[in-house]
Amino acid sequence: MAGYGFLAPWLVGFFGLTLGPMAVSLYLSFTRYDIFNPPEWIGFGNFVRLFTDDPVFLRSAKVTLQYVLIGTPVKLAAALAVAMLLNSITRGSGFFRSAFYTPSLIGASVSVAIVWRAMFAGDGPVDGSLRTLGIELGGWVGDVDLAIPMMIILVVWQFGAPMVIFLAGLKQVPAELYEAAEVDGAGPVHRFWKVTVPMLSPVIFFNLLLETIHAFQVFGSAFIISNGSGAPGGQLNFITLYLYKRGFADLQMGYAAAIAWVVLVVVAIIALIMFRTARSWVYYAGDQR
Amino acid sequence: MKRFKITMAVVASAALLLSGCGGDPAGPRSDFDPNAPVTLDLAFWGNDTRAGFYQSAIAKFNEKYPNITVNSTFLAFPEFWEKRQIEAAGRDLPDVMQFDYAYLRQYSQNRLLLDLKPYLGKYIKTDGFTESTLGIGVVNGVTTALPVGTNAWAMFTNTALLGKSGGTPYAGGTSWDEYATWMGSVTKAGGGAVWGGTDPTGRIQNFEITLRANGKNLFDDAGAPQFTKAELTAFWSGGAQVRGAGATIPTKRLLEVAPKSGFGAGLTASELTWDNFGAGYAGDLGADASGLALAAPPVTKAGAKDLYLKPSMLHAIAANSEHPEAAALLVDFLVNSQEAGEVFGTNRGLPASSTHLAGVKLDPLSQKILDYETSIKDRLGQAPPVPVVGYGSIEEKFRQLGEELGLGTVTVEQAVDQFFSELDTILKK
Repeated sequence: MAGYGFLAPWLVGFFGLTLGPMAVSLYLSFTRYDIFNPPEWIGFGNFVRLFTDDPVFLRSAKVTLQYVLIGTPVKLAAALAVAMLLNSITRGSGFFRSAFYTPSLIGASVSVAIVWRAMFAGDGPVDGSLRTLGIELGGWVGDVDLAIPMMIILVVWQFGAPMVIFLAGLKQVPAELYEAAEVDGAGPVHRFWKVTVPMLSPVIFFNLLLETIHAFQVFGSAFIISNGSGAPGGQLNFITLYLYKRGFADLQMGYAAAIAWVVLVVVAIIALIMFRTARSWVYYAGDQR
Repeated sequence: MKRFKITMAVVASAALLLSGCGGDPAGPRSDFDPNAPVTLDLAFWGNDTRAGFYQSAIAKFNEKYPNITVNSTFLAFPEFWEKRQIEAAGRDLPDVMQFDYAYLRQYSQNRLLLDLKPYLGKYIKTDGFTESTLGIGVVNGVTTALPVGTNAWAMFTNTALLGKSGGTPYAGGTSWDEYATWMGSVTKAGGGAVWGGTDPTGRIQNFEITLRANGKNLFDDAGAPQFTKAELTAFWSGGAQVRGAGATIPTKRLLEVAPKSGFGAGLTASELTWDNFGAGYAGDLGADASGLALAAPPVTKAGAKDLYLKPSMLHAIAANSEHPEAAALLVDFLVNSQEAGEVFGTNRGLPASSTHLAGVKLDPLSQKILDYETSIKDRLGQAPPVPVVGYGSIEEKFRQLGEELGLGTVTVEQAVDQFFSELDTILKK
């Protein structure tokens, strides 16, 4: 009993701030609720509307998946590549580690989003430098085809956090494995695929899971860059932004709650798939199999 | 984000419960001490120019009431309302708000705004208003807001830009086709640096005046839409033709200069908007306002009474304000005082209160706006009913679909379907 007493602060937080609100949100997703008037039960109405009568939602889902499915692997690849580079140098690695890590600290900030917008605008530095190379794109911010690539570059630029984790993982790979492989005549490519990747697979799995979930939560940068509208042509209207606008601009709180639950289920399914497939490609040293 | 949303939901429901127990305050306290130190929050929408005006006005207010500290915040129009909605959910609105007609019904009906009646005459002078202007801020018999000024739909042109690029001035009050032709000629003369204007079909007000030319409004008194899918399709198809001819600025360019408009960014020679936007444009353009001119918008049918005067903005006090008396003094200063009139000019519309108007030194731009409103007298019809609940969302959806039509990401048919489906949801709410 005393145990529960000591647990009480956490329990209050868990039921009051996590489980309770989630239950309320689940209830609201089956209602029509405009904040001012009591929620009105409409069954599966919100969910039916989402999938049959809301092309904007379907497009939001599409652009979010594009962003997650392209952005996350590219970001992880960049993180791993730089981690391996840093792992191979002895002098100045501390400096480079901090330098590469910085963007992931500030990348989600409003100021970076504003800078990003200015950099990729029609007369910004990115467009200007590309023009000197003879590539005429005419601004990314308002371009339907270039808006998502611009966001992917922003997220890839923040590869510092997974990089640091990769670096820690790389330090754990026993040097004798590389020596043994080298003696057996394995080149750098072989050593990478046959030693580094298997030994690093738990870290890769961890980063993949974390970054995928994280990518679904993109909000601030898209909000700032598109001036809160999700423009151009809804390309930056990521699911979180759409949810926010439905809830707080249109006051369709029940509908917004339904979107939140759809996102939760989709992310849960993706995580489940990852855990299932992990058994076949993630290697834990000391695992008895 | 998810957690944020959930937290907000709980905060909202808790606030609802709490506020339900509170009951309404019973008007001004008799023991109100006008010299006690008080801090008020003031929120408005606008740009840097207007923020500067508010700063000066607050400084003058503080000469009279040094004990009342006013913290002001401002945002662009759409974000301003998103923030208010969140605060409304938590019954935590700023004490004094610049208010828009489109949201007045919603906020008044939900009792988020202070009933001003006990304060009128005592803290807020009403002598400067006519009966009809005072009536603008009345919803279901309760006065919840006071109009700051009135405005009308208008066409701004940038004569300085036209002079530079070699375009001819716009005559005003032509047909829509003639306006499109004019825009085309300006764009051609501009050689890729200047455009004639922005596609007018992206704004619901332009649709509204074409409807009004045919004797209808967007919504009737009961709040039902008075337009059909066919009418909207025809309207948006007309826009496609204008855009197709390359007469208007590409949407892509507009997105890059946002939150400025194409006109504010000095890229287009004309724009249809409310006539009090002049000072904002002058600020955006950073140039002498003498280059700005006003003309009557294109007309759908000769002799139509399609335009109308509406409150450009109002001032309201939150029902949750802890200092309603001080807030009322601030509102009185902002809507009635000559000092505020001197500061704002016509930035917030042509002043509704005569004492406020007396302070307005008619600078050339204000004079142009006054002249403009006089010049369109014959086109002014009866104002439409107070906007339906959710009109703000409807207007924004219309704007977004107009933007998408410009980008080519939706077809006219899809846009019309989306708009009507949205309309259904909002009006059902």
